[in-house]
Amino acid sequence: MRYTNNNDTNLLQMRNILFIILCFVWVTTSAQEDLEKLIAVEGPKNEKVTATFKSGNLINLKTTETIHRHEMDFRVDHRFGDIAGSAGGAKNFFGLDNSTDIRIGFDYGLLDNLNIAIARAKGATEVRQLYEGNIKYRFIEQTVDNRIPVSIAFFGSTTVSAMGAAEDKQSAASFTGFSDRLSYVTQLIIARKFSSNLSLTVVPSYLHRNYTAYNDQNDLFALGIGGRAKISNRIALVADYIFPFRKSSNKKYREEVSGQRYYNALGVGLEMDTGGHIFHLNFTNATAIQESQFISETNSSWGKGQFRWGFSIARRFNFSKK
Amino acid sequence: MNKINIYSIFFFMIFGGIAAFAQKTSSLVSKETSITFYSNAPLEDIEAKSTLAASAMNIKTGDIIFRVKNTSFQFDKKLMQEHFNENYMESDKYPSAEFKGKIEGVEKLVHDGNYTLNVKGNLQVHGVTKIYTTAVIFNVKSGIIKANTSFQIRLADHRITIPSIVGKKIAEVVKISVDALYKQ
Repeated sequence: MRYTNNNDTNLLQMRNILFIILCFVWVTTSAQEDLEKLIAVEGPKNEKVTATFKSGNLINLKTTETIHRHEMDFRVDHRFGDIAGSAGGAKNFFGLDNSTDIRIGFDYGLLDNLNIAIARAKGATEVRQLYEGNIKYRFIEQTVDNRIPVSIAFFGSTTVSAMGAAEDKQSAASFTGFSDRLSYVTQLIIARKFSSNLSLTVVPSYLHRNYTAYNDQNDLFALGIGGRAKISNRIALVADYIFPFRKSSNKKYREEVSGQRYYNALGVGLEMDTGGHIFHLNFTNATAIQESQFISETNSSWGKGQFRWGFSIARRFNFSKK
Repeated sequence: MNKINIYSIFFFMIFGGIAAFAQKTSSLVSKETSITFYSNAPLEDIEAKSTLAASAMNIKTGDIIFRVKNTSFQFDKKLMQEHFNENYMESDKYPSAEFKGKIEGVEKLVHDGNYTLNVKGNLQVHGVTKIYTTAVIFNVKSGIIKANTSFQIRLADHRITIPSIVGKKIAEVVKISVDALYKQ
């Protein structure tokens, strides 16, 4: 812009005044915005996603959750008898007269992401009086910034049966030595919290039983899936399902010759968090609670009314110094 | 280039300079801000602290601002920290708490000494904003301002509900204390 004409002088002065006012406005507004910009807050660095699940268990499957260092989790699981079908109904009060399996377990946090546990379970197959030791190590944790999109935990479990050996040589409990009493479960638990209300998990599993019923297989792969959806702040819907990949020849023999049918375990339930206690109320066709049994030997079917009430109560205790 | 045009540029430079200078001198930032809260209930005392809070103030206008991420509060018991974020603060929905207010009588802070001044403003916690006034103790020494205060928050005022089953473990009113150290 060039102003060479004297007639423009007045206009020019006005422009200058306007410009000065604009400068003042700019000074004041930028000072206010400035305060906001000065306090870019940080969260903790590499912040980890917490509470993907609320408990170490869904219904039948384990979750990626571990308890913290110096915490103990005391947990009781119970499965009642069939609600409906030939073994259920009013005569045994819809299964409440029976219990197919009961498990009492203690978990302890060695580290925030490393837990060990011992448990006693009744056992729901031919193999009973079970003692279990297990370890869960969550070695990858999902981060808030999504640089790590999933949490992954390793779960390893060894179960030993203390029952007297069965006389029937076809039975899975006709042990001939101590090693026959052992079975092992190895799982990789992969989970992602998609939102504060929804978490899903996939659980590739490998089960090895040292001794099985006649013509069943010792090694069995399986794939579990599960999820948790929050209904309210403290109540969530949980569900899980597991597909075992049994060889068709074994399955056919067991079904046709031994009359043993196999089904995939499906569980649905409600999870209630009271702050310290976690309650589960669920329905599942699996009779057993231990991984070593419900993965391989769920012989009850939802379709035949052979599902049952189940519940679990977990209470966390803190033993940290402070 | 003609004279008047040069004047315009001259004005711009002066005001630009003043603007930059004004911002530098009147805005102070506290990078060492810590916020602690205490809950004293019959069954349990809970204390949690965040040292990752941030604050800034303007000693000309008296504007003051605080912000803290809820997930930055550290608890001795990690399970409590999880419950704090998951069940009470709902940190996924409301990630941070924020205060924006004004210091009454801020002009006193240009001289060294101790002053107790009222700060009034809006505090947002758990998505609910409420007006608070609190007395803040300022200590000014050669351009560095220390500030600390404590006040109380009624959880129900911010729609933070405590189930009756844990009622005796969490106080209805929690005490908040704030420490900040402002520098240029």
